Amino acid sequence: MIFEALVEGRTLRVEVSGRGARYAVSVDGRRLEVGWHETAKDLVTVRVDGQVLELGLERNASGCVVVFPDDRLAVELHDAVRGGTLQGRAASAGPARVKAPMPGKIVRVLTPAGTAVKAGQGLLVMEAMKMENEIRAPRSGRVQEIAVRDGQAVETGALLAVVG
Amino acid sequence: MAERSFRKVLIANRGEIAVRVIRACHEMGIASVAVFSEADRTALHVRMAGESHAIGPAPSRDSYLSIDRILDAARRSGADAIHPGYGFLAENAAFARACEQQGIAFVGPRSETIALMGEKTSARRVAVEAGVPVVPGSLQPIAGAEAIRSEARRIGFPLMLKAAAGGGGKGLRHVLREDELDAALQRARSEAKSAFGDDSVYLEKAIERPRHIEIQVLADAHGNAVHLFERECSIQRRHQKLIEESPSPFMTDELRERMGSLAVALVERARYVNAGTLEFLVDAERRPYFLEMNTRLQVEHPVTELVTGHDLVKLQLRVAAGERLPFRQADLVQRGHAIECRVLAEDPDRGFLPSPGRIEALHAPGGPGVREDSGVYAGYDVPVHYDPLLSKLIVHGANRGEAIARLRRALAEYRILGVPTTLPFFARVLRDPAFVAGDFDTSYVAAFVARSDGARERPRAVAAAAAAIRALRERQAARLAGDASRLPTPWFDAGLREAQRGRA
Repeated sequence: MIFEALVEGRTLRVEVSGRGARYAVSVDGRRLEVGWHETAKDLVTVRVDGQVLELGLERNASGCVVVFPDDRLAVELHDAVRGGTLQGRAASAGPARVKAPMPGKIVRVLTPAGTAVKAGQGLLVMEAMKMENEIRAPRSGRVQEIAVRDGQAVETGALLAVVG
Repeated sequence: MAERSFRKVLIANRGEIAVRVIRACHEMGIASVAVFSEADRTALHVRMAGESHAIGPAPSRDSYLSIDRILDAARRSGADAIHPGYGFLAENAAFARACEQQGIAFVGPRSETIALMGEKTSARRVAVEAGVPVVPGSLQPIAGAEAIRSEARRIGFPLMLKAAAGGGGKGLRHVLREDELDAALQRARSEAKSAFGDDSVYLEKAIERPRHIEIQVLADAHGNAVHLFERECSIQRRHQKLIEESPSPFMTDELRERMGSLAVALVERARYVNAGTLEFLVDAERRPYFLEMNTRLQVEHPVTELVTGHDLVKLQLRVAAGERLPFRQADLVQRGHAIECRVLAEDPDRGFLPSPGRIEALHAPGGPGVREDSGVYAGYDVPVHYDPLLSKLIVHGANRGEAIARLRRALAEYRILGVPTTLPFFARVLRDPAFVAGDFDTSYVAAFVARSDGARERPRAVAAAAAAIRALRERQAARLAGDASRLPTPWFDAGLREAQRGRA
């Protein structure tokens, strides 16, 4: 099979064949021999060109997250033969709706509507799980809307801001 | 206080610290009573305790912070002591007083000591009386904005603005210049008001690039007091500790001796009883300044347990029951080196944003010198209502080098899947030459994130390959299942599988 993989902001072309415990993979032309043993739910021991790695494979809405001992990478796969669009790209094209990841209280708004922001910049500070947390812009653009005010309590999924 | 031993102890807490105290009780032959909110019905501490009582809905103000409900559970269960853990009611003088009035032993200092040390400027006054150096600044809480401005000019900038009732980094502001003071004051006071119900503040001169080093103390009700050496807690972000170790790589024998004696002097002056911790800032010239005293067990107490060989929770219970300390200062030594990592449900790649959710898989590390104090299990839903601490990974080695190597090894074994955690971040910090050299201060985490995140080599190719293999395997499995559903009998299916065997 041939996939386009969006891995933490970079798109890679992946060809994969094999079955059972052995796979041949080519990532952007780089060939990998991969041994595969699923040892528990979401946990797999792989041998990549002889090197042994224990990887976690979590499912999420748009693909999976590969958990290494020292890193955690979200991967979105797109079947290059069957067509379709990468959800991540589709999302980054339009305005991004920033929602509350958990219930909490808005401590303060950092970027009022109209502010130009870079991806990763803090939009507002929300208190949740005993901590003050910065809610960040998922993409660069302009803050089109701030849907909350200081001191407001919000539930999971509540719209906080729109960045377009 | 008459000596007696407890029969039954109620733990007024949740998570890993409740589990920790339950373990100590069971080893001592003491029955344990857990309390739980509606969100914690299936939490690990409830599963491990001998008996458990519901104390109300999920929000902590209606459950773990409700003095009446916890005392009611203590009465119903017949507990003769309450261990408060840390956080929640652990430093609440009114709670300790209520326990005293009900004739239930509070495992901690007397209520008046908690009140004395809880108001941060009165703690500073006691320290000054005991001859302990404090950070230059105010010795009284200040309420009026004009009084604060003139006090700030007297102390000089940069300075720290702190909530008098404070703790945990709430109501705390670093003010670099006079023109920042008014805005900082407004925020600090609103935070202090909402966190502690008291918006009075005090000012301290800012110590530039300090180490945060604390001294563990323990005192009995018979006038015996000792210190159990230091813990290095400089690895923190936003005033929340992430990694602690003992001994401190910054410490000298002379400074350790001096800080230990200062700590014991303050304990004696305050007639302090039970376990406590004195937090100090230490400047680049190795001058210590007392910051505040935590009148409870600390999250990071295991590093002290591993280097001294003493179980602090058992000692707390014995002291609370009226026993004498079983050792003197001269009997205590530091053996080897211990390091702790706080495993939090937080995403280090999204500014340490809390990441509650279901733990899908959990594989704890093992082997020599490894201790895991956990409050979670595979299948557990990390609730959104409480702090994000999942577990603490603590290692002990013959020296700092072995402890670091052991912690790296243990981190590589530790897997928590389903929610982002701080584990991968710790694996990266443990490879950082500055950390390995012990060359850090309280600004370390922010600087490490800034310099390393962009430059990080990320294993994108292997991640893409793993995701693709799993997608292929799922496609193959679906095809097989689809074929199977059209086949007439299981016998045919088995025959087909036989025929396909070896083809790949």
